[in-house]
Amino acid sequence: MKEIVIDISDDGEVCIETKGFQGKACLEESQFIKDLLGKETAKKLTAAYYYGKEKVKKYLQLCG
Amino acid sequence: MSHIAKIELVIQSFDDLKEACQKLGFEFVENQKSYRWYGRWVGDTPMPEGVSVEDLGKCDHAIRVPGCLYEIGVVKQKNHFILLWDYYSVGGLSEKIGPNAGRLKQAYTVARVTKEARKKGYRVMEKKTEQGIRMVLTA
Repeated sequence: MKEIVIDISDDGEVCIETKGFQGKACLEESQFIKDLLGKETAKKLTAAYYYGKEKVKKYLQLCG
Repeated sequence: MSHIAKIELVIQSFDDLKEACQKLGFEFVENQKSYRWYGRWVGDTPMPEGVSVEDLGKCDHAIRVPGCLYEIGVVKQKNHFILLWDYYSVGGLSEKIGPNAGRLKQAYTVARVTKEARKKGYRVMEKKTEQGIRMVLTA
């Protein structure tokens, strides 16, 4: 399930986390929240961001 | 998980700030041009950006917090608002609004995000956590 999680600490710090998105969709979907709230000061891309639709073929040597 | 971002909050919505005050039980006084503070700058903390010593005590609107001697000044700067307040313990504000006015910023963020996310068709859930408040938006 796609979710945008916003944590607001008791001293006013805001952290946004996107879950369940693949590729760049997470940045596009959450941009409106960032525009609403202020300035993005740090960003960390996770493994799912880089997950694409391309299949990676691996060739395994089975014998000899 | 896809990405994580940290945001420096900028208060852009006057209406959402008023709504946040209402939810917290604070009184938002429009067009009050001064806010109560110690009355004299003692130089113990850095001045907020764009604010000089002469600006202290002056504002465009004010927020009165029940039980507090001091008030919070709301100052318009370009396309956003900043909050000015004196955290001297005698004024009582730090205890009521939290460090860095965290409680007020929290309420503002919740008001702003809830309104705009629902307009975009998101379902909004909110819950208290140990560190603060967590909002979860689902499409």
